[in-house]
This record gives sequence, C-alpha cells and structure tokens, in this order.
Amino acid sequence: MEEIKIGVYVCWCGTNIAKMVDVDQVVDQIKFLPDVAVARNYKYMCSDPGQDMIIRDIKQHHLNRVVVAACSPRIHELTFRKALAKAGLNPMMFQMANIREQVAWVHTDREKATKKAVSLVHAAINRVKWHESLDKRTIEVNPATLVIGGGVAGMSAALEIANAGKQVYLVEKSKKLGGYAAQLDLTFPHFYSARQLIKPMIRHVEDHKNIRIFKPMQINQIFGYMGNFQSTLQLANGDETKLKFGNIIVATGLQPFDPSEITSYNYGKLPDVVTSLEFEKMLAKGRIETCEGKEPKNVAIIHCVGSRNANYHEYCSRTCCMTALKFANQIRSALPESNIFDLYADMRSFGKGCEELYTQTSRKNVIFLRFDQQNGLPEIRSTNGEEAVSMLIEFTEQFSKEQVEVPADLVILMVAMESHADAKDISHIAGISMCGNSFFIEKHPKLDPVATTSDGVFIVGTCQAPKDIPDSISQAKAAAARVLATIHVGTIEVDVITATVNEDICCGCQTCVSVCPYKAISFNKEKGVSEVNEILCKGCGTCGSTCPTGAIRSRHFTDQQILSQIQGLLSPDNKFEKM
Amino acid sequence: MAERNERPKIKLAVYWGAACGGCCVSVLDVHEKLFDVVANADLVFWPIALDIKYNDVEAMPDQDIDVTLFNGAIRNSENKHMARLLRQKTKILVAYGSCAHLGGIPGLANLSTKTEIFDRIYKESESTNNPNHTRPLEKYEVKEGTLTLPEFFNDVRTLAQTVDVDYYLPGCPPQTERLLEVFMAIVSGDELPPRGKVLGATDKSQCDECPRKKSDKKTIKEFHRPWEINDDGETCFLEQGVLCMGPATRSGCGHRCIEVNAPCRGCYGPAPDVIDPGAKMMSSVATMIDGDTSETIEKILENVIDPAGYFYRFSMPASILRRKIPENLQAQAPLQK
Repeated sequence: MEEIKIGVYVCWCGTNIAKMVDVDQVVDQIKFLPDVAVARNYKYMCSDPGQDMIIRDIKQHHLNRVVVAACSPRIHELTFRKALAKAGLNPMMFQMANIREQVAWVHTDREKATKKAVSLVHAAINRVKWHESLDKRTIEVNPATLVIGGGVAGMSAALEIANAGKQVYLVEKSKKLGGYAAQLDLTFPHFYSARQLIKPMIRHVEDHKNIRIFKPMQINQIFGYMGNFQSTLQLANGDETKLKFGNIIVATGLQPFDPSEITSYNYGKLPDVVTSLEFEKMLAKGRIETCEGKEPKNVAIIHCVGSRNANYHEYCSRTCCMTALKFANQIRSALPESNIFDLYADMRSFGKGCEELYTQTSRKNVIFLRFDQQNGLPEIRSTNGEEAVSMLIEFTEQFSKEQVEVPADLVILMVAMESHADAKDISHIAGISMCGNSFFIEKHPKLDPVATTSDGVFIVGTCQAPKDIPDSISQAKAAAARVLATIHVGTIEVDVITATVNEDICCGCQTCVSVCPYKAISFNKEKGVSEVNEILCKGCGTCGSTCPTGAIRSRHFTDQQILSQIQGLLSPDNKFEKM
Repeated sequence: MAERNERPKIKLAVYWGAACGGCCVSVLDVHEKLFDVVANADLVFWPIALDIKYNDVEAMPDQDIDVTLFNGAIRNSENKHMARLLRQKTKILVAYGSCAHLGGIPGLANLSTKTEIFDRIYKESESTNNPNHTRPLEKYEVKEGTLTLPEFFNDVRTLAQTVDVDYYLPGCPPQTERLLEVFMAIVSGDELPPRGKVLGATDKSQCDECPRKKSDKKTIKEFHRPWEINDDGETCFLEQGVLCMGPATRSGCGHRCIEVNAPCRGCYGPAPDVIDPGAKMMSSVATMIDGDTSETIEKILENVIDPAGYFYRFSMPASILRRKIPENLQAQAPLQK
C-alpha cells in the first residue's frame, strides 16, 4: 500500500469560524499526527486561492488524502472534491470536518470550541486514511416533476414545466387550487383583481394535458434521490398510485398568524377586530361592514401584527404594509366619508410601484400614526356603547410622544405570514432543512435561492420566506428552469456509494434480502451468496448494518471508516494546552 | 522413532492464563496422536502435565521455544508476567482458544469493575461469611518472609492486548483435529501463513456450511430458548426464533453445537472483516424483529435473556465496549489502542 500523505486545511470562513475557534491552535494540534504531511489554515478555503493551495500541495507534496475543516459538507464538499479531481486525485479521498455549523456557530466558549474543533479534525484525519477511490456512475433523470402545493407559486412552476412538454404531478392538500392568492380581492400596487389573475391560471392548470392534479391529497413519503424519486399516493377510492419523478418543487406556502395570542388586540373577543385575510373576504363580498351590518365610520388598520416582534416573529412579513395601503384605498373608495387611521410601526414600501402607492395613499386623507413596538403595542378596548364609536385604540404616538386614543368601528389587523404548520412534515418527507423561524432553507441565500441542500429538491414561494405574488412567480419560474435544465441534460453523475458483497465471506444467511427497501438484493442460489444490483442500490446502508458476517460493505461508510472516525473523536491525543 | 525423523524436534510449550483448563484438555484429546506429537516435539513447559517451574522458563535462552500455545485470558499480573516471559522465549506465540483470542468467558467479568467483583465475592454474595472483611492482599509479611499474590486487574484482556501474537487458534476449546493440522503444518516446515492470521478455521461464517435449511424469512415475532421450541432439526435456528450466533461466527469447528441441535454460541469469534461480532449480531438481529410499534418491539426483546452475555459471550474484552471503567477514571479513560 502506498504511503498515506494527508493535507489538512483549516478554514477561518472570514470571522465565522476564526472568531470562535483558534485556527492556529487547531493546526498546531493536528500537524504532528501520523500521516499528516501538510497542515495549514486560510481565510477562505472555498475561494479560488484556497482551492489552488490544495491543488498546489497535492502536486508538490504528493498528497493522496485531503481534509478540510470548514463549513457543512452540504455546502462545499463538492467544491473540494472537484479541487481534488482537478489535481488528479480521486475526489473520494476527501473528508470534511464541519467546524462552522457544528462548532463556531453553536458555541460561546472559545477554548472549548477549539478543543471540539481539534477532535472533529482528528476524526476526519482518522477516517480519510481508510477512504478508497470510487468511480462515478451516470444515471438517467426521470423527466417527470412533482410539485407539492397548488398555490400561485406551485401552479406557475407546474405550468412552466408542462408548457415545455414535460409531465408534472401537482399535489394539493386542499380541495381547491389557488392557495392564499385566490382568497385576495385586489392586489397591490396596481389594484388588479386577484381572481382575474388566478382563475385563468387555475383553469389553465386543470386543463393542461401534461399536468396531473391530485387533490385533496397529501404526500407521506418520498424515496430516492435526484433524478429518480418515487412516492406512493393513497387515492380517495382506496387505490394506490405509484409516481416516479426526477425533481421535486416544494410550494407549500404560508399560513396567517393567529392574532389571538396578542392580548392587547382582543381579537376573538371584540367582533369588529378582524384580520387582513378576513377583511379581504369582506372586500371580495363587496361590502365593508361591522358585525352588526353597519357601515363603519372609523376604520383603523394596525400594521406588524406578529411581525418584527421578538415575542412573535422577528422577521418582516414584507407584504402587509402595501396590503394595508391597498385597504386604505379600497375603504376610501367605498366609504368616502369615513375616517381611516393607519397605525404603522414602519412603512416598508420597497418594490416596484410601492413607494408611489404610499405617496398616492397619503393624499387620500388617511391619517398615518406611528407606534413603536418596543414601547408596547396599541391597546384596543370596547367603549361598551358609552360613546359614539364602538372601540378605542390607545397607544403612544411616536413622533409627538403623545398618548393618543383613536376611535374605531372596525379594526383590521395586518397579520404576519408564518411558515405552514405542515412545514415540518414536508421537511422530513422532502429532505429540506428549516431555519429558526420554520421557513425552508435555500441552498445558498445569495447564489442559489431556489435550490436546497437536497439535490433535485427546490423551494418556491412563501414556504421559503414571506413574499408577494410576483416574487413567488419569479421563484417558481426560476425553479422550473432549473428542473428543465436537468431534464434537458437527461443524465446526472452520482457517486457509487453503494453496497458491495464480498462473496468469499458471504455465508448466504439472506438476512439482507428482506431488509433492503429498494429490493436491490437478491440471493444467488447457485453461488449461495447475496448479490447487490448497483443500479437499484441507493447506498442507504441498511444491509451493511444487518449483515452479521461483515460480507456487505457500504462503500464510503465502512465499519472501519466510521470506527476510526469515532476513535479520532475520542482520542486522548486531543490535548489542548491552554485548558 | 526419532532417528527416522530427519528434522530436529521442535520445542513446544503450553501455558494457561485465566482459563478453565478445557484448552489444555483439548490438547490431551489428541489421544493416540500424542505419539505423532512427541515424535515431532519436545514439551518443554506445560503446567497441567509437567513439573517445570517458572524459574526454569526464565532460565531458557530467548526464542528457545519454537511454539507456545497460550490459552486463557489475562486477568492478573501473573498472567501478564507469563505472557511477556513466554513471548520473550518463543518464536511462534499462538493465542489458543477463545479466552486468549477474544477474552472468552472470563472476559464477561468486564461488565463489572474490580471493586464490584471484590464487593460481590468478599462481601455481598449469599454464601459469603467474612466477618473480618478479609480481602486478598498483594503482599503480606509473615515471620518467614513476604507472601505475595498476583495483582487482580480491573479488567480482563486478550493475549494480543498484552503482547504481540503470531497466530490465533479460536474455539472453546479449539477442535483438537484443527490443532493437529496446525501443529503438523508447523513441524513439517511448510511455509507459514502471514503473521496475525486466524488458523484452524475458515474465512467464512458458520452458516456457509451449516447443515440446516435457511431462507430469507428471518423475521422474529418471539424469541425462544432452545428448549421452548419443537425443533424440527432442519430449519435455521434464527428462523425458529432461537438466537444463534452462527452468522457472525467464523466456521471451522465442524458445527459441534449445531450437530447436537444446539444453536451456535460464537466461540470461534468473528468472520475476518468483522471488528465487533457482538455489535454485528445485535445489529443483524435488530433487523429481524417483526414489530411495528416500539411497544411490540420491546415486548419481543424482553425474551432476549442476558443480551450482553449472549452476544458478547466470548468477545467482550476484544469488543468496542471492552470493559466497564471505574467511576474515578471515567473522565480520562483512554481508548483501546
């Protein structure tokens, strides 16, 4: 066996890692470990100079293994594998230690964090020694696409792909397509009717020969990987249908924030306090009225209900300010004599035509009053019929610092957009990560905003973050372009991380045959051994762990690799002088 | 007969560490083949059969003994001393039997610490009558001089965890026929296999040549002890719900247990690529359990009596678990080499 020579590279990730991990100390600790030929740290290992450093060292020092301690392998494993390939090494001779997400970002004690980073790098060094060269395999991409969610984003993606002549399976949980956009009356900033926008779209989707709609239907399980996913749907008549598809677009949307948890607004107790969505329905019906069916004289609109507040959601829901202005305009047209009070925390009128809408609305005799969420939320109380108005809203107006009371017969709460209650289930089913506020995480927040860390799975619309209709549609069409690109190429290269049977050791006990979820193992009666079909094998490792003789190895996840990694992690050599 | 043998006789030693004596008896089991053995070998040290003292061994030149069959595990300082001494005096050191190979039955004591073992024996056991709290001492002064006892270690080790081992001959005890084959191979001057190899066994697992019928229907709804089933004498024990270590155990014993309708206990140790046969077998059995809910699975598992003693019966010291670490050492416990 050739002499093992490992290059170890510790990334600062700017200050992301270097702030919490003493990268010099990590290098000092591991550079004397057996088989480590080169150990360095650098500001950005993923940058071109960082990769060039690795490539240069491989050539100069004849390295045959590389460890990079940096971010999650989900982000840059491929980057570094490509760098190895560029330098003529098999890309599998690489191991990544995640010292950003698993160390720097989650710890506050620098010395302990550094010690943990040393352990993780030691583990990676131990593992990479046992790595073996593996070839790539080309597989065909199934040209069908699964779209989960029949809102405006899901429908847009489905139409784009179907119009390109490719099959789409559109799964919608409810009985109707259209999602929340279909429940709106007019849209901002141009006051187009939402129904006139959405209805033709729904019809188009329903009539499309390349779109097969399943509703009401929920996806429970998806097997497979990019290019070759499959799922079984339980139809209403009790039948099952098996779908195969190459890509997944997740467009599961949002849910409105429930304002009853904000006690000062008395939502649910005062009948004339309504949410923005309830008000949309009122507008769609064509009559603005109180619960008693009267025209309201005073209408108040309160912004940021559940948004931009650490007690509820820290983020801005992005659409409520402009929707509020749209409401003000609609109320002004419907009730020219009414008083309109707009209680805002900040007026966020970014986006095309939005600042103009603000200017235009401010000329329509709408009274804008500012409150500061830091100093408490406005308090809505009933006048119990003792005054001409039914409710009074009390708060400190921020510019005048005056305590004011605003009269109201109808209050509209501009509720936040939340991730859907189903998001967690969907994240498990589709293999997507969630961020702290339960929206799905994109592969890269700047450079890859519709892809996810699971290849072949894309996120569009409000399941990714609050956004308006044009942004949702842009994302949907972007994801459709990504999907169509993979279908157009037709094949993808995957690592051959499959199971393999050592026929000299296999005793033919057949324990593995029944556990394989992909039916990739069969028993060869003639030879008396199990055989793995490498096309069907997905490398899940189930057979490897069930094989009692050690005849089955899960490539790239061998017992030896994993146990060496654990030994490195627990090694008493992981000293830390400063402790 | 010696004059007919052109080759000089080899010097053979047999020693026991923490052992039951069965391995030494298995050597005696060569019966009339003993003549072949003594025709080819001089037995220079064998405490069970010959009156040769430790001092005599110490007086031998280094590498003087050609082959030592070391049986038994390393439980105390005497075992360790003799292992080191025999390593020094021997050209080919063979770990003979399960205890020297993997720790064996004495290795199950590694589920307890030394303190726990002593408390049990000298204080808590139902038959203990020890009002003066007497405990073994390593040194005791009497007027005639100093009496000593070997130090009882915290845990049992394998021979290979103590000294370098040339070959392994597994089994509890090893099949005498296998011993003879290996012995004759050594004395005949054949080229020896690479150092570190397991001899007297195949590279396959028990199931490979097991006479019982096996299929892919290894689903277990209920575990049984062997006496609880009406064994048909033909079907794979696992498929009848009886735990059998066969799949995770190296073949070579001739299915002694299976032949008499008893499941394999695993004394021949793991197949070549397996690091921890106990873990391998547990992982394998876990996939056979046929239960949908955690309650049913737990209920099925309740019938696995003494899982550590079953899955690790012969291999605890050589396993990843290896031994229980005394509480005061747990924080800085070093990992096995």
